Amino acid sequence: MTGTNGGPDFAGLFRAAGVTGLLHAVDVDTGAEVSCGADEPVVLASVFKIALMVEFFRQADRGLLDPAERVTVMADRHTPGPTGVSAMADDVTVSLRDLAYLMIAVSDNTAADTLAGRVGLAAVNTMLAGFGLDGTWVEHDCAGLFASVVADSGREDMPTDPAVISRLRVLDPARTNRSTPRETAALLAAIWRDEAATPASCAWMRRLLGLQVWPHRLASGFPYDDVAVSGKTGTLPTLRNEAGVVEYPDGGRYAVAVFTRSYGTAQNQPRADAVIGTAARAAVEHLRSPAL
Amino acid sequence: MDLVKHLRYFTVVAEELHFGNAAARLGMAQPPLSQRIRRLEEELGVRLFDRSSRQVRLTGAGRAILAEAGEILVRVDRLRVLAGRGEGAVLRVGVPPDLGSAVIAALIAGFEEAGDDVRLAPAELWSADQAAALASGALDVGVLRHPVAAPGLNLGPVLVQRPGVVLAASDPLAAAPSVHLADLAGRRLVLFPGEPGLHEETLAECRRHGFVPEEVHEAQTLGLVMAGAAVAFGPRVELPGLRWRPLLGAPLAWRISTAWRGEASPAAVAFGAVAVRVLKENAGMTDDGAAPVRQVRARPSSGFLA
Repeated sequence: MTGTNGGPDFAGLFRAAGVTGLLHAVDVDTGAEVSCGADEPVVLASVFKIALMVEFFRQADRGLLDPAERVTVMADRHTPGPTGVSAMADDVTVSLRDLAYLMIAVSDNTAADTLAGRVGLAAVNTMLAGFGLDGTWVEHDCAGLFASVVADSGREDMPTDPAVISRLRVLDPARTNRSTPRETAALLAAIWRDEAATPASCAWMRRLLGLQVWPHRLASGFPYDDVAVSGKTGTLPTLRNEAGVVEYPDGGRYAVAVFTRSYGTAQNQPRADAVIGTAARAAVEHLRSPAL
Repeated sequence: MDLVKHLRYFTVVAEELHFGNAAARLGMAQPPLSQRIRRLEEELGVRLFDRSSRQVRLTGAGRAILAEAGEILVRVDRLRVLAGRGEGAVLRVGVPPDLGSAVIAALIAGFEEAGDDVRLAPAELWSADQAAALASGALDVGVLRHPVAAPGLNLGPVLVQRPGVVLAASDPLAAAPSVHLADLAGRRLVLFPGEPGLHEETLAECRRHGFVPEEVHEAQTLGLVMAGAAVAFGPRVELPGLRWRPLLGAPLAWRISTAWRGEASPAAVAFGAVAVRVLKENAGMTDDGAAPVRQVRARPSSGFLA
């Protein structure tokens, strides 16, 4: 089965997993690409942390901040979240770049907001515009996202009631941090081509993205010891995203951005997580096929 | 100044990033277009385009309002369409095709009794198609099955339906008064097409109760079941060659509600009330209060902004 542009049947893969999905995959070195709705606006959720990381390292490159500077994050000033500093009980003193590690490796919301306070969201948007990523926009930090969910749902846990979910503004790309699959993949490709910041900073960013712990989405599609998968997930009610880079032993490297929205509202949907990997592998295999 | 009109100019320029091309698309000359964009910038107190370089580019402020401007224009268009329907107008409603002729007839009769001067135009559409039609304004009210992926829809009261299993009369399980999901092991399953959300939730519940269908077919009719090749879930049916049995413990709960976008018109409100009554009286559905609330034990990998 093939899709409309001669690529794999992405829509069929997504449908079989109970989600709708959008995807863009690009060969980092040749620019060959395959996609499914590459230019549709998508909700970034935590994938916006990639852009925040890029601007953080660019400011470090310019000497505007010292990545080794130690800051104390007070326990009573946490942004809600299930991982990292967000889940810790006590004040934490940690370097800015280690906060960047926590923000990427375990999607730590408090780490992200601490960096956002230092870097400034306006600076992130200026950086994105400078790269010509006009469809990518950071509207709020994690605390802002959380406040929006609470305002719309009237509760502090993530809702599963379809009626509540249908009125969440953070699920509408026009009202929250947004991008397109193509632009998200382009930002990652720039990190892998040493174009997003200095080569040293790009190498650091690649290391952090390679340290991300979640195995259930993008990485699940590439169960091979000799293939590296680096990425950043994004999760909100019914939304499951991951954008990353897949590197093969022959040197082939592919930036892939996958954004899904499930029909079901259950939080645990392993098949919806796994189809991100399945679709990404279909895309990468298409880009690696000799016919192309 | 006419803000809506100016926002329309703005979105076209933002799409083209070229004043000449945008003017051509709008069927006007370039100088008045540039003038109107300037007026909009004055009104909002920010610069929307960066014209200093050879290229026209959106400024940060321009990008910030672009998506919102698009949304406003869609809503204004919808408002015009709604306003254009006066008396003797038509209420376009969507209903799931499997509801059956009797229920759809009851919906029409009930709505006529309600005495509005509006004619009902029902379209048989599966839920995913209804959600898309509601979003685009092609439908006024839907009666759709949950869950649907449709942010921005307003939902009426949620009703629940407890489906049983439909078997071939020759199936040994038909001899029992009720069937456990796990008893269906090894059989193939027929599900409605066009209901991906329901599909996913039903299969998840089947797996949880030990029934992993050998194969899943999407079909609108019960032909495969009648032929003894598969089983199906649904409300009670009385057809030769078929037997309906309740599922032990009623493990499946299919939810259904009305849905609309934006403010509901009086006719849509009236239809919603009729739909709830008819679905309860004619289709055996009950208030959602009867369904147990599913507890969520949060896991880090699926938590807020994971």
